[in-house]
Amino acid sequence: MINMQQTARVGLFFLLGLALIWVTFETLSGGKVFKDKGYQIVAGFESLKELKEGDDVRMAGVKIGTVASTRLAGRRAEAVLRIDSDVKIKEDATASIVMSGLIGTNYIGVDLGSAGAGDLRPGAEIHTKVTPDINSVMTQLGSLGAKLEDTLGSLGTAMNGNGKGPGLLQKIDKLVSDNGENVTATMANVRQVSEKLNKGEGTLGKLINDPKLHDDLVASVAEIKSTATEARNFVADAQNIVDQVKAGRGTLGALVYDDTTGNNIKVTAANLRSVSDKLARGEGTLGKLINDDSTLRDAQAVMKKANTALDGLGDSGPITAVGIVAKSLF
Amino acid sequence: MKQLIQILEGLGSTLQLLMRAASYAGTLPRQIGRFVEQCYTIGYTTLPIVAILSFFIGSVLALQSGHAAENFGPKQFIGLLVGLSMAAELGPVMVAVLLAGRVGSAIAAELASMKVYQEIDALETMNIPPARILVLPRLAAILVMMPVLTIIADLVGWFGGAIVAKYTHFISIEPESYFATMRQYMEFRDVWNGLVKAEVFGFVIVLVSCNIGLNTRGGPREIGASVTRAVVVSLILILVLDYFVTKALM
Repeated sequence: MINMQQTARVGLFFLLGLALIWVTFETLSGGKVFKDKGYQIVAGFESLKELKEGDDVRMAGVKIGTVASTRLAGRRAEAVLRIDSDVKIKEDATASIVMSGLIGTNYIGVDLGSAGAGDLRPGAEIHTKVTPDINSVMTQLGSLGAKLEDTLGSLGTAMNGNGKGPGLLQKIDKLVSDNGENVTATMANVRQVSEKLNKGEGTLGKLINDPKLHDDLVASVAEIKSTATEARNFVADAQNIVDQVKAGRGTLGALVYDDTTGNNIKVTAANLRSVSDKLARGEGTLGKLINDDSTLRDAQAVMKKANTALDGLGDSGPITAVGIVAKSLF
Repeated sequence: MKQLIQILEGLGSTLQLLMRAASYAGTLPRQIGRFVEQCYTIGYTTLPIVAILSFFIGSVLALQSGHAAENFGPKQFIGLLVGLSMAAELGPVMVAVLLAGRVGSAIAAELASMKVYQEIDALETMNIPPARILVLPRLAAILVMMPVLTIIADLVGWFGGAIVAKYTHFISIEPESYFATMRQYMEFRDVWNGLVKAEVFGFVIVLVSCNIGLNTRGGPREIGASVTRAVVVSLILILVLDYFVTKALM
């Protein structure tokens, strides 16, 4: 006896199972019934490092195939790459082994190549390049560490000194310990000063703390400013005078810059000098007058005579008087 | 020595039963009613327990691997781990174990009681071979139902893992990322191998249970013994065959 409801449930259940299998298949295999065999190319390397069968082949990060097999060929290692048939690799593209993690998961990265180049044929060999692996990076890090250690060691020697002489730190230490007292005293002074400043003692303290002083100072500054303005005017005037002098205008200008005036003065000075020389030597009337006592005495005598004559002249008239003076003079 | 002979006897009788049932394969279309009934019992009624069990297996897989991965990092591979484990191993094996307990025992009990109460003898007297009407529909039903149950177990397990991975605070992986690693690193072949395995397990469970039930001798006490034996032999065969089938499929 067939229960129709039972049959329907079984049928539905079976169809559900088939549908689920189909969905899983679509999701995991991308709907390809048979795996795309693709085509194979060969990549030769010095060392395949951690690369193994089944690892990805990626172009610009997109998976385009897998490593089909690895083998030793003569003095190098070869990886046979299975590439999806819808992907074309350019002839000048380069393959390299790339690490995707620290724990040995590698893949082969293929670059895009140049746009104009032809496509690589199945079975052909692709260009390869060596990339540094974790071991060589570690080696470099090790040598870097050694250098760093050397540098730090010599820095340490410079700081702490070697057996022969004191290092920078010792020198600083000595400097500080030798001058400790001075430094302390200075600091004490500085402290004292700052305390006074804070309390408003002394000029600076008042300046800082007293608003009146500040106002005075501002006023003084204003005064200084106006004085400075006047001084500037004065200097400008002086400059003007100097300019006029330089231009040879006015008495001073003529005196300084006019040659004729100078020459006149020189000539005058020479004349004066020759006159004074003559006077000193007793030449000429004035010189004799100055230097020769006899003239004075003569004059005195003359004067006496004249006096006498004048006394006697009272009656003789002026002509006689002139004759007497002339006689006594010559 | 006696036990070895028993094992060989059991193997031989099972193979003979298989041959007899296979020889009646042509009669299956005429037994469609029995076939559907068996499909219903074996497949449809087993679905809830398969779903519940695989959901929690997937969840606990994600939880455990997430907890272990917490300390060293590769949490994003939890999806792959749960996916592969469920599809390749835990899905088929857990469904098979469930079937051994639920269906294998039922088959053994039914056939053993029929044998003990001489119904089998009556059938044979009427020239109706038990292999034709009792064994063949069950074998056919399990072959049809097993992949369905297994794919449901796989998917429910995956989703269980995804839910745990998203909502457990120390894992916190979005379902997109969880299924992305699965899609990236898994192939349908992994799932397909699991389905093939499950098919082998189910077929063996039903065949062995039928054989043990039909070979029951003695009184009603022997029925219970047959059921126990059917379940134990099925479980042992599942795990032994698991190894060899996995190796053969690699």
